Amino acid sequence: MDMAAHAGPKVEVVRRRRANAGRHLAPFLFISPWILGFLFFTLGPLCFSLTMSFFDWPVVGERTFVGLDNYRSMFMEDPQFRESLWITVKFAAIYVPFNIVMSFLLALLLHHATFASGFFRTVFYLPSVISGVALVTIWSWIYSREYGLLNFMLSLVGIDGPNWLGDPSLALVAIIVASLWGLGGTMLILLTGLKAIPKELYEAATVSGVPAWAQMLFITLPMLGPMLIFTFITSIISAFQQLTIALLLTKGGPLGSTYFFAMYIYDNAFKYFDMGYAAAGSWVMFAIVLTLSLVVMRWSAAWVYYEGEVRPVDGDRDA
Amino acid sequence: MPEMRTTIIGSLLALAVAGAATARAEEVLRFATWDTGESLAIQQAIAKKFEEKHPGVKVQVEPYAEGYDQKLVAAFGAGNPPDVMYMWNFPQYYTSLKPLDELIARDSAEIKPDDFPEGLMNTTRIEGKTYGMPSGFTTQVVFYNKEMFAKAGVEEPKEGWTWDDLRAKAGKFRDEAGKVYGFAVDAKPDPYDFEQFLWSNGTKYISDDGKEIDGYMNSDAAAAVLGMFADMAKKEEAVTLHLGDETGGDTLFQGGKIAMFQSAMWDKADIDAAGFSYGVAPLPTFGDRPAHSALGVSAISIAKDAAHPDLAWEFVKFFSSPDSVAMRVNDLPVRKSVAEAKGMTKDPVYKPFFDILATSNTERHAYLKNANWGKIQDNLARAIEATMIDQGNAKAHLDDAVKRSKRLLK
Repeated sequence: MDMAAHAGPKVEVVRRRRANAGRHLAPFLFISPWILGFLFFTLGPLCFSLTMSFFDWPVVGERTFVGLDNYRSMFMEDPQFRESLWITVKFAAIYVPFNIVMSFLLALLLHHATFASGFFRTVFYLPSVISGVALVTIWSWIYSREYGLLNFMLSLVGIDGPNWLGDPSLALVAIIVASLWGLGGTMLILLTGLKAIPKELYEAATVSGVPAWAQMLFITLPMLGPMLIFTFITSIISAFQQLTIALLLTKGGPLGSTYFFAMYIYDNAFKYFDMGYAAAGSWVMFAIVLTLSLVVMRWSAAWVYYEGEVRPVDGDRDA
Repeated sequence: MPEMRTTIIGSLLALAVAGAATARAEEVLRFATWDTGESLAIQQAIAKKFEEKHPGVKVQVEPYAEGYDQKLVAAFGAGNPPDVMYMWNFPQYYTSLKPLDELIARDSAEIKPDDFPEGLMNTTRIEGKTYGMPSGFTTQVVFYNKEMFAKAGVEEPKEGWTWDDLRAKAGKFRDEAGKVYGFAVDAKPDPYDFEQFLWSNGTKYISDDGKEIDGYMNSDAAAAVLGMFADMAKKEEAVTLHLGDETGGDTLFQGGKIAMFQSAMWDKADIDAAGFSYGVAPLPTFGDRPAHSALGVSAISIAKDAAHPDLAWEFVKFFSSPDSVAMRVNDLPVRKSVAEAKGMTKDPVYKPFFDILATSNTERHAYLKNANWGKIQDNLARAIEATMIDQGNAKAHLDDAVKRSKRLLK
């Protein structure tokens, strides 16, 4: 920096300008690892996969442009597409409400617990920390027909337990139960939300003689709105992306009864090496999840209030 | 900021220099394998010997293990394939593999192509061109527990026995309290192996031109085979494997829970270790027809864009030499001369493996006939599973599989 000291006012200005530029650049440099990662490993592949979906793309061998043919044959000809989508919808329709209601009840329980709430919070959250493969191993021991924990317990009360993972009518239920085991994350979010509700609201309500159920309906649920909607949307997304548990626990069987849409995409990509077709499937999934999320957001606008949000009061609702 | 820029450029330069310094001082031949454990150790030993014969060459053995296909596909997709690799799925990869016919013809004195059984060579050929040299194989047999047979007073299987014989014997072992069965049928067999029963009963999955499955996969002969296995489960002559329970037939056989077990070379080492006396019987026949066996063949191939094509061929030749073949004790020897020199073609344990090889060269596996076979096969697998769950209805389920697969034949 010696040079600048000798070089008079002009250089001084340039230097300051540079320093300014640096100051503007610095924040971007700090977030650049994330930005670059996002660009190269998320946005880039995302756009690339859209291109792939218009090709017959076998990985090894010639790639040919086929336009919308992947989408056409998926919708028109492939029974597997419809079946796997239907299974995923059934799964989501059961999993999402259960996940939210049970998480909410557990969060409520912990919120009001008078002792050992820290201990139970850890216990309830623990399954979410376990990696997918370990979790599946545990559940395969629980569900095993001959040696499983579940059927052993049933046998103690004289019930001959069913073949949980081998019966096409039960396997999906078994997977839903195993998936619900990881609701600790949702529970934690809702618990944080509960803790953030000002106590004064309840105190005022109690003083005014508002019964507990009405406090729940008119204070807790509305105040928890943003959290509920967030968990609702993330649950839908994770339901549609369900893969690990089914892949490892049932491999999509028996008889394809747990063959999820994500597994259909996975098989097209990594079993049949039909990358273009798999990419098309991914975009269909993206479109579905996006549509559902938008619908939920639009619908929720009617009843979810965000902090600091001001809305015109219409009519004589307050009267 | 200039200092920072200098620092960044400086470190990048340093990295580049470091990278250049570690660049290879010798020629590196990349060899990808799916094997692990003992088989991998043997391959590494062969690679070591090759290095001794070729100073300045390093063979980099790359064990991809479980995710072999995914890693190999990724390597090809990225334009950076290994020079030499283990291979079985030729229809999937052959466009990226180097045809070996000219090289084999050129070096035929050294290779002696006639020493390799024709049935094995057939599995490495696509449209008349050879894309790999067999490195190991297995045929299918029936292992039986001699001690259980003696105890139950059941006569041991003999050459030329039929499925009816097997069923009659199997029925005598059923013990409900001890959870013991005579045999095991698989609800999720590998369709690749399962085709052997269709061949043995005079049919096949798909026509030889690869264009028709109706009347093949769902023929009466095919339904009879599948129906027979379902009936064996129903009559408790056999336990059903893989219906919501991942316990394999190998475990049950080693534990003395089934008296007979249809399997292949890959289970032999574990059965040896189980420590009881066992025998090996050939696959049973359907009536008077000869039994056909599925051929599990592993081969090694050279990438079309191999970085070191000449060295790769030298390695393939070395890997296929009688000495190397003899070293791979976990596989059956792919050279007739080696099998004979080791006395395996006469040994009662190994003889059934080699005998059936001679009658199993007339059919080609379905995956060699149609590029979409992988998808068709999944419909077929579901039909087999459905039949095993129903313990019947084979024909209806196979018809359904044919219907679902029609669009894939185009």
